[in-house]
Amino acid sequence: MIRTVRKILLLTGKDLRIEARTRQTLGLVVMLGILIIVVLGLGLGAEQKIPGFIATAILWVAYLFGGVLCFEKTMAVERHDGALAGLLAAPIDRGIIFAGKLLSNLILMLALAAVVTPVAIVLFNFDLSAAPWGFVAVTALSMFGFASVGTLFAGAVSSSRLQGGLLAILVFPICLPLVITSTQILIGLFRDGEALGAQGLGILVAFDAVYLIVSWLVFERILEP
Amino acid sequence: MPAKARRRFGLYWVVVAAAFAATITMLFVYTPTAFDETLGPLPIQKMFYVHLPSAINTFLACLVAFIGGIGYLWHRRLVWDDLSAAAAKVAALMCTVVLVTGMIWAKKAWGMWWVWTPRMTFSLLLWLLYVVYLVIRPSIESQQRRAMVCAVYAVAAFLDVPLVYLSVRLMPAPYHPVSVSLDPSMRWTLAAWFVPMTLLTIGLIKADFIRKRANRKDESELPPETPWTAPS
Amino acid sequence: MDATAEPETHAAANDAPETPSAVKATGLGLHFDDRRILQQIDLDVPPGQAVALMGANGAGKSTLLQVLATLIHPSQGRLELFGETIGPRSGGIRRRIGIIAHQSILYRDLSIRENLEFFGKLYDVVAAAERTREMLEMVGLAPRADDAVKTLSRGMTQRVSIARALMHDPDLLLADEPFNGLDAASTKALEALLRRIGQAGKAVIMANHDIAQSLALADRAVVLRQGRVVVDRPAGEIAVEDVLCEMSAR
Repeated sequence: MIRTVRKILLLTGKDLRIEARTRQTLGLVVMLGILIIVVLGLGLGAEQKIPGFIATAILWVAYLFGGVLCFEKTMAVERHDGALAGLLAAPIDRGIIFAGKLLSNLILMLALAAVVTPVAIVLFNFDLSAAPWGFVAVTALSMFGFASVGTLFAGAVSSSRLQGGLLAILVFPICLPLVITSTQILIGLFRDGEALGAQGLGILVAFDAVYLIVSWLVFERILEP
Repeated sequence: MPAKARRRFGLYWVVVAAAFAATITMLFVYTPTAFDETLGPLPIQKMFYVHLPSAINTFLACLVAFIGGIGYLWHRRLVWDDLSAAAAKVAALMCTVVLVTGMIWAKKAWGMWWVWTPRMTFSLLLWLLYVVYLVIRPSIESQQRRAMVCAVYAVAAFLDVPLVYLSVRLMPAPYHPVSVSLDPSMRWTLAAWFVPMTLLTIGLIKADFIRKRANRKDESELPPETPWTAPS
Repeated sequence: MDATAEPETHAAANDAPETPSAVKATGLGLHFDDRRILQQIDLDVPPGQAVALMGANGAGKSTLLQVLATLIHPSQGRLELFGETIGPRSGGIRRRIGIIAHQSILYRDLSIRENLEFFGKLYDVVAAAERTREMLEMVGLAPRADDAVKTLSRGMTQRVSIARALMHDPDLLLADEPFNGLDAASTKALEALLRRIGQAGKAVIMANHDIAQSLALADRAVVLRQGRVVVDRPAGEIAVEDVLCEMSAR
């Protein structure tokens, strides 16, 4: 067990080190997120205070598109120079490779959210004060399921030139239930002033579990020809 | 396809046509139209008999696509990919029938083409899921890679269906559908309509599958991708 | 995981080695859909033997190496590595295998040292830092240890790849064109290194397009044609022309 965790951390540590060295992904993803916020914010009118439940929807869009870029980049690292063959030939389970990538993707997405959210709050007066922790909890849970599916498909899609659009179009429809569920919960929180219920979180956790288990199982089968 | 098999498949379509003729006759001659709030205004009611069987057959086709996906992931034979692709195409088609009949119904019953009821939202999302499957296929060049991505997608999409269903129920429902109470004769007609619709679904999957098998032989053979040779 | 040899292998031949074969493939076949990539491969490589794998492009050399590296599951037949039958759960055996592929299998943005340490830890090498230093000395790249791999020349990168493959001191080395892109001096060094590995009792299976060099380095010559083994003889008993002839025969 400890060995497994150590291997996962080794893989994630390697991904993050490469990211720290190249600064390719995070800069790109954060700028994309900010651009989305600016475009949508200006579209809604920069002068007015944007209410919580619209703000959350805009942030969601930024996280989703940024996330897809993260999945793509972290997998592209392995496609270069046959590094993936090195992982496959190593004495580790495919599941560890999946978990390592998932963790890297989650960390990158959290970093994205940590930068983009304050920017949005400052620039456009996004008002999340009604339920800040509810927002964090719901977003984090949704991101987890989203990243599971994204990691799976990033592994399946090869780094062909069409990958950019392709990955997004594969991942978004599959993740619609997550988007709908979290949106409904966030509308309840911010527009209707409801408290965050155990039921809503329970559904999200259940969805995450389904996405995680299915992605993990399928991932085992996709890395070989 | 050998001539004998082709003849037999031709005969199959004759049976399908006959079944359609019979059920259409049944619908207009035998089945009463009763006023019912859920079934909608009188003539439009008839569409219900197409709507429900095509919805069920959408699931059937999704299931076949799922089985094809699992088959490919397990056996790595392109024949499974062909099955999955054929079924996904028919799933999208059947779902289109569900959507169109649903929209006409909504227009007559509520005066709007589209209402975000949980059921309609569900069929729309299901339709999106499988149309996406169809559009991604041509964008992946390598046969192997395409089969792999599509198999993963077909599996994920099918398992996603119950989650989509659960999630749309969280949305506020503008109209509350009550369970439909059907007259026995109406029930018989509905049951009868499952026969031609299901035969049609199976026939379409088979026809597209046969076509795909034949085309597969013509496709140029790219060298198979292996971990060491994967494009960088 | 039972790594000891089964008793009947001892009985099978009286000159059977004490240790199980490094590689024992029986009727190995691989097909992608209807295309047969490998067919009926029988190969028994004892520890310490160096095998030269030869064949035209597309004959299945790389694919066979990948099957032996447990990267691809064979569709038919049976593969034993060090006496262990390879199945879906035999990932542990990979600790005894080292691979050198066409591509460098290195992270271009990390330094040489980081790459070697990463792969060392991945293979559970104890004292990975110490071992890294050793390997850097061996391939003569210690002064550049902290440079990113992308700044190295092709030949140097190849040397790092070799160090990477040997980090965990594998008992079986699978090399796909290891001399690709090496200059004369590095070629000499690698040849000497491969000989040393053989003398240390490790099995080496190497695909190489330079037939004369292969025959000089290896104990045994295996020629593949369209996924089949057509020649399997001691390397000293076959001439370059014969190999060429077998490679291109129909």
